[in-house]
Amino acid sequence: MASSTHTHEHHIVPTRTYVATFLGLVVLMVMTVAIAGVNLPAIGPLSGTVVNQLVALLIAVVKAMLVISIFMGVKWGSTLTKLWVASGFVTLIVLFGILGDYTTRQFEHQPGWEKQADGALPRVTPNEPEVPAADSNTLNVKIRQ
Amino acid sequence: MSAITDSMDHGHGHGHEPGLHHQYEDMVQQTESYIVGMWVFLTTEVMFFGALFFIYTLYRWNYQRDFYIAHEHLNVLMGAGNTTVLLFSSFTMVMAVQSAQLKKRMHVMGYLVVTLMCAFTFLIVKYFEYASKIADHLYPGAGFATDAKLAFGEHAMEGGKLVANMNHVQLFYGLYFGMTGLHAVHIIAGILVIIALIRLWYNKANSVIHDYVPTEMVGLYWHFVDLVWIFLFPLFYLMPKPH
Amino acid sequence: MSSTVIATDELKPKAKAEEVNYLNVEHTISSWLLTGDHKRIALLYLVSTTFFFLLGGMAAGMIRYELTSPAGVVLESDTYNKVFTSHGIIMVFTFLVVAIPAVFGNFLLPLMIGARDLAFPRLNLGSWYMYMTGGTLILAGMLFGGVDTGWTFYTPYSSMYSNTQVSLVIVGIFIAGFSTITTGINFVVTIHKMRAPGMTWFRLPLFVWAMYATSLMMILATPVVAITLLLVVFERTFKLPIFSPELGGDPVLFQHLFWFYSHPAVYIMILPAFAVISELVANFSRKRIFGYHFVAFSSLAIAGLGFLVWGHHMFVSSQSMYESIVFSLISYLVAVPSAVKIFNWMATMYKGNVVMASPMIYAIAFLMIFTVGGLTGLVLGGAGTDIHLTATYFVVAHFHYVMVGGTMLAFLGGLHYWWPKMTGRLFNDRLAQINAVIVFIGFNLTFFPQFIVGWMGMPRRYHYYYFAPEFQAYHIMSTLGSTVLALGFIWPAFYLTMSLFNGKKAGPNPWGAHGLEWETSSPPPVTNFLETPIVMDEVYDFDPEAEHAENRRRIEAAEAAKSDERKGSMEDHQ
Ligand code: HEM
Ligand SMILES: [Cu+2]
Repeated sequence: MASSTHTHEHHIVPTRTYVATFLGLVVLMVMTVAIAGVNLPAIGPLSGTVVNQLVALLIAVVKAMLVISIFMGVKWGSTLTKLWVASGFVTLIVLFGILGDYTTRQFEHQPGWEKQADGALPRVTPNEPEVPAADSNTLNVKIRQ
Repeated sequence: MSAITDSMDHGHGHGHEPGLHHQYEDMVQQTESYIVGMWVFLTTEVMFFGALFFIYTLYRWNYQRDFYIAHEHLNVLMGAGNTTVLLFSSFTMVMAVQSAQLKKRMHVMGYLVVTLMCAFTFLIVKYFEYASKIADHLYPGAGFATDAKLAFGEHAMEGGKLVANMNHVQLFYGLYFGMTGLHAVHIIAGILVIIALIRLWYNKANSVIHDYVPTEMVGLYWHFVDLVWIFLFPLFYLMPKPH
Repeated sequence: MSSTVIATDELKPKAKAEEVNYLNVEHTISSWLLTGDHKRIALLYLVSTTFFFLLGGMAAGMIRYELTSPAGVVLESDTYNKVFTSHGIIMVFTFLVVAIPAVFGNFLLPLMIGARDLAFPRLNLGSWYMYMTGGTLILAGMLFGGVDTGWTFYTPYSSMYSNTQVSLVIVGIFIAGFSTITTGINFVVTIHKMRAPGMTWFRLPLFVWAMYATSLMMILATPVVAITLLLVVFERTFKLPIFSPELGGDPVLFQHLFWFYSHPAVYIMILPAFAVISELVANFSRKRIFGYHFVAFSSLAIAGLGFLVWGHHMFVSSQSMYESIVFSLISYLVAVPSAVKIFNWMATMYKGNVVMASPMIYAIAFLMIFTVGGLTGLVLGGAGTDIHLTATYFVVAHFHYVMVGGTMLAFLGGLHYWWPKMTGRLFNDRLAQINAVIVFIGFNLTFFPQFIVGWMGMPRRYHYYYFAPEFQAYHIMSTLGSTVLALGFIWPAFYLTMSLFNGKKAGPNPWGAHGLEWETSSPPPVTNFLETPIVMDEVYDFDPEAEHAENRRRIEAAEAAKSDERKGSMEDHQ
C-alpha cells in the first residue's frame, strides 16, 4: 500500500540556516518600514505611490517565500507538497481576476458611444429627468436596526 | 487475474511500530500522508484569507486617499514590534521541530514555551492597539468616529473641514478589525494547539516522541499564521503617502 | 480487474472471516456513532442525507402545490419566500454537495484503491459531526422563523434588510462547509498516498479520478464562500460595512465571491455524478471504457475551467460587459469536457453488451437528461440570451435538469448498483427497473414544462402569475409530474428496505462487475480486504470475446427456453 516513491527521510536543516533566515526576515522588515517613509520616484507609467506599494508588496512576497521554503521546509519537500502549495496561490490569482470587472467597467462609458446610431448604449442615459426617490414604505423593505 | 503470493516488503510491519495507525502500512506512508494533509488544509486557509485580501485590495484601490488617512491612526511601532515577535516565534518553532527530529525532548519543550510566550506577547500588544481604536470610536457601527477630528488630528482636516470620507474610513476599520481579528483567532487556536503539544511532550506521549510529524504539523500551522501577518503588516500599517 | 493476493499476518480461517463484516462486527449504538470505519460513516451519511432530502422534498411539494393557481393557493408571500429558500438551502448545502462524495465516495474510495480505510478516519467521523451540526443549525433557523433571501443570500438584502434567521442559517452553512473541506482533504490524501501496490494513476477507476477533481474544488472553493458568508454575518451583527453600498461597500462584490464558490460548487455536485455514471456505463456495457484518459482528464479540466466562469451568473448584475463577454466565452469552453464525457460514454455503450439492469437504466436516463441540462446551460451562457432568460423558470428548469436529472439520478443509480455491496443483499431488480422508468417520466413531466413557461416569461421565485393565466396549464403539468417523481423517490426506500429482510444474499460480485470493490465479500470485512491486493492491470478489463460468447449463450438459452415453452404448449394442445 505504500506508494512512496521518494522516501521521506527527515532532512535535518542546520541551525545556522534557520538563524540566517530569521535575520534575513528581520532585515527585510526593517527595509519595508524604512522604504514606506520615502516617496519613491515614478517609473514610467507607474506613479510614485504605486512604485512604493509594489516595492512593499515585493518585499512581503520575498519574506513569504523565505518562510514557505525554509521554515516550512517546502524546499526539501516532495513534488506533491510543492504542487499543493502552488495550487492555493494559483487559485488565489484567479480570484483576483474579479478585479477585471472593476477595472473594465469604466470603459463602458466612453463618450461618443451614445452618438452612434446603433451603437451600444451607456448604462445611464444622460439628461434623463431625475426619478423622485421612491417612498420606502411602498417597497415593503426596511433597513434593519 | 493472476495471483502472486509473495512480497516481502508489504503487508508486514503492520501494527508493530509505536504510533502507527491501523490504516497505514508503515511510518513513511503515515508521515507523508500527514504532511500532505496539513498542506492541503493550509491551502484552504490560503483561500480563506485570500478572499479577504482580495476585498482589501479592491477597496484600497478605490479609496486610496481615505484609506491613507485612516491608516495614520495605526501605530507602526507596535505593528513592527509585533512582526518581529511573530518572526522570532516562527524561528523558535522551527527549532522546536528540529529538536523533535533529533529527539531532544527538553529542547523541544523549551522552544515551544518560548513560542508560546511570543504568541501571548503578540496578543497583549494587539490588545493595546484595539483598545486605542475603541477609545476613539473607530469600530464600525452607528457611532463611528464621532470625534474624527480628535482621532485623526490635522491630517484629516483641510481648512477646518474633514477631507476623508468617513464611510470609507469606516470600511477601512471594518477590514482592519475583520482581518486582524481573524488572524488573532488563528493565533489563539495556535496557542491552544501548542499548549496541547507541550503537554504531550511533557507526558512523553508515544505519538510525539517517536514521531516528529505532529510537532512538524503544528509548526506548519504556526508558520502559516506568521505568513498571514507578513502581508497584513505592510498592507495596513505601511501605506505610502499618495504622491 | 486483475489483482493478486499476499498473505498478511492475520491468518484467520477464511470461512469465519467472511461471516464477520463491518455491519455485524459490533452492534451497540456507540459503535456506530464513534466509528472510524469509512463504511459505517458512509451509512451514517446515507441516513442523514436521505433525511435532509426528505425535508427539502417536502418544501418542493409545497412550492409546486402553491403554483397550481395563478393567484397562489395557501401561502403568504413571505411564507413562500421562506419555503423556496428552505428548499434551495437544504437541497444544495445539505444534500447535493454532500450526498455522492460522502456516501459513495466514503464507502468506495478505500475499497476501489485497495486501502484499509481513508487516510484520516477520525477526521472523517469529525466531518460527519460537523455536517450534522451544520444541518441542525440550518434546520433550527428554519424552525425559528426561516430565511427569505433565496439560497444565494444576495446582499444588501441579506445583510441589511432581511429580518429573518439569516445569521443562524449562515453559521450552519459555514460549519457544513468545513465538513465538505475536511472530506475533500481526506480524499485527496487517500488517493495520493493509500493506493494498493500496483494501483497506478491510470489503473484507477474513473470514479476515483472524478472524486479527486471534486475534492480539489471542495478544497479550493469552499473557503471563499465560507468567508464571504461570514462577512455577511459580521455585517449583520457587528455592522462591518463590507457589502453595504451606502458606506462605500459593493454588493456586487458579494455576488462575485459567492459565485466564485458556487459555480465550482455546481461541479462539486455534478462531478461525483459523472464518477458514478462512468462506473455504471463501463460495467453494464461490459466493455473497456472508451477513451479512459479523456474521461479521466476531462474531470480535471472541468475542475480547472470551473473556476473561470463564475461571471455567467452575473450578466445582469452591473458587471462590466467586457468581463461578461469573456465569461460567456469560457462558459462555452467548459461545456467541452462535459461533452467529451458524454461522447465517451456513448462510444462505450456502442457495440457493448449492454445489460439493462436498473442502475444502467438510471445511467441512460442520466445521459439523456444531463445532455438537455448542459445544452440549456449554453443557452444561458450566451450573454445575450441570458438577459432575457435570467431569473425565469428557464433557469430553474436548467439547473434541475443538471442537478436532479444529473446528480439525483446518478445517486439513485449508484445506490442500486452498490446496494448489494453495502448491505450484502439483493433487491428485486424488476421493481427497480420499473421505478427507474417512473423517475424518468416523472422528472421530464415536472421540469420540461418549466423550460416552456420560463421561455414565455414566468419569473422564478414568484408565487403569483395572475398577469399570465395561460401559464397555469404548464404549472399544473409540472405539479402532476412532481407527484410521479415523488413516487419514484419514495418507492426505492420500500423495496430496498425490504431487501434487507428478505433479499437473497448478494455474494461478492452480483453484477459481474470489475473493480477492486467487487473482489471482497459483500458486505466487506472491517479491514476491507483480508489480504492486501496487488493490482496487475487496468480496471474495466472486460474481455470482449468472452462477453460476446456469454451474450450468445444467454440469447440461445432464452430462445431454447422459448421453443421449449412452445413445444410444451403444442403438446398441451394435442
Ligand atoms: C454545461 C455547462 C453549464 C453551463 C454553460 C451553465 C450555465 C449556466 C448559466 C449561464 C446560469 C445562469 C443563469 C441565470 O441565472 O441567468 C446557470 C445557472 C445555474 N446552473 Fe448551470 N450551467 C452548466 C452546467 C451546470 C451544472 C452541471 C449544474 C449543476 C449540477 C448547474 C447548476 C446551475 C444552477 C444551480 C444554476 C442556478 C443558480 C441560481 O441562480 O440559483 N449548471 N447555469
Ligand atoms: Cu454556473
